[in-house]
Amino acid sequence: MKTPACRAWAGVFLAFTLLAGFGAAAEEDMISILNPRGTPPPIRLVPMAPRLDTLDGKTIYVVNIGFGDTFLPEVRNVLAEKYPKADWVFKRKAGSYFDDDPKLWAEIKEKGNAMIMGVGH
Amino acid sequence: MGVPTAPVVTQRFLELVKTISYKKGMPKQRFTFVPHPVAGRPPEVCNQFVRSKDPVTGKAIVEELVAALTAPLTAEEKKTGFMLRPPQPRLLEPDTPTNRARLFEKNGWTDGIPVILPTEARVAEMLKGTSHEPNEIVGTMRPSPPHEAWEFTVEMVAANAVMAGAKPEYLPVILALASTGVTSLFSSTTSFARMAVANGPIIEQINMSGGLGALGPFSPANATIGRAWTLVSKNLGGGGTLGETYLGSQGSNLNYNNLCFAEKEDRLPSGWKPFHVQKGYKPGESVISTFTGWSIIHSGGFTTQHKEIIKRSMMPFASGRAQVTLLLDPIVAHDLKDYQEFGTKEQLSEWLMKNAGTPALQYWGSHREELQKAKAGVEPYASWLKYPEGSYVPVSSFKPETPIEIIVVGGETNPFFLVGDFRHVSSASVDKWR
Repeated sequence: MKTPACRAWAGVFLAFTLLAGFGAAAEEDMISILNPRGTPPPIRLVPMAPRLDTLDGKTIYVVNIGFGDTFLPEVRNVLAEKYPKADWVFKRKAGSYFDDDPKLWAEIKEKGNAMIMGVGH
Repeated sequence: MGVPTAPVVTQRFLELVKTISYKKGMPKQRFTFVPHPVAGRPPEVCNQFVRSKDPVTGKAIVEELVAALTAPLTAEEKKTGFMLRPPQPRLLEPDTPTNRARLFEKNGWTDGIPVILPTEARVAEMLKGTSHEPNEIVGTMRPSPPHEAWEFTVEMVAANAVMAGAKPEYLPVILALASTGVTSLFSSTTSFARMAVANGPIIEQINMSGGLGALGPFSPANATIGRAWTLVSKNLGGGGTLGETYLGSQGSNLNYNNLCFAEKEDRLPSGWKPFHVQKGYKPGESVISTFTGWSIIHSGGFTTQHKEIIKRSMMPFASGRAQVTLLLDPIVAHDLKDYQEFGTKEQLSEWLMKNAGTPALQYWGSHREELQKAKAGVEPYASWLKYPEGSYVPVSSFKPETPIEIIVVGGETNPFFLVGDFRHVSSASVDKWR
């Protein structure tokens, strides 16, 4: 059983211990160390393409880059239902998600006015 | 391309796409987020997703998509020119070791294990391991192709080598690894692993292990060189930031030291070339080779007839990308030479590639035309389709451009081996960095 005197001595001991600890931390030498990080390249800002004034009469491509086959067709279906005056064209990009598809991009540039592209899975 | 575009992204990739659009120079890209995942969800579920609200912004998804295509551009969205990056000073502000250790951990500059702080004196000592100038550019590295590549110098690599606990004599190997530009922390939702294999005189010079317990936590050279690769990949290759530049769903424990070891060249059977010689280097050159894959399994048996066991063991990897690397204990390698007449690694590799089948499930999943023929009774497909569940179709998925690689490593206490779904990525001269 702890007496009040015991508790007092324990408190004094604890205070000394903490003070000693702070003292040691304060005495820690300052050091200079190298930044371990590499150099990121500068970022060239790319202006976004001008937006459309209306969707009416426009051809909008909805492009699936390759994750799943069900989501992007539904994006197209819902938009076609809500915006029937636009022409909504669904396309699946060739190859896997990391493959380029310059043929499709050329087609969209030639025939499309805008694009919705699905990323992720 | 000049066509207004509205990217729609699943919620899980918020940090990733924001980071990439920033680095690609379109920091204000108009994203619309949807619940994750959408792949494999039935159309009616996806339809409801589209009609719901963006889980990030709380706005209706359809309206957000339309606004992304039609709302006039802001001045910020039209901006051109260059964006300044935060400066990267060579030295950090002086502070106590305790505070600096906390900073490294807090900023994600470690692998979660305490590091040796790269003081100027320690880095100067490390730099004695190479004749190259501290400010010489070693190369660039990126977490994966869509990400930007960061550039780094010899001194920066040395700082990370210090952090890993490496000795100065290991530095040429670490510089060679860094010079490949291959990150050990590839940014993908699958949790990639890496492997680094050393060949040539450097093995003996710095006591890299290819013998007993070579893949375990025993050799300081194996341990710290492999560890340094991951620190370099994080700090110099711009990788390893969770959610932004690292997305491996479960992560890979192998990334702690990336299966770094030496080939046991002095126990290769006669006629079996060291791996670097297979890749065109001279036996007297020191080389580090990198591999990419995901996993390894342990297999073997008390027999001298290993080829069938190896073939069966690698079957799980014999589909899809079909890439396999074998790590054979010298006992197994000698048995294959002495009892099964594989005079070279190449002969064994070719036999396995020719005779490995493809798991039926994967085969039919990726061979729709053959499946139709099988259903129409066309042979041999019709017979293959009748194979019991779990069978292998006798068609190899391996391609000559991704040969089965063979490395000999181990301490000859067991006729066992490891099989991994790894392929060789690159090899780099260590001597160039001495």
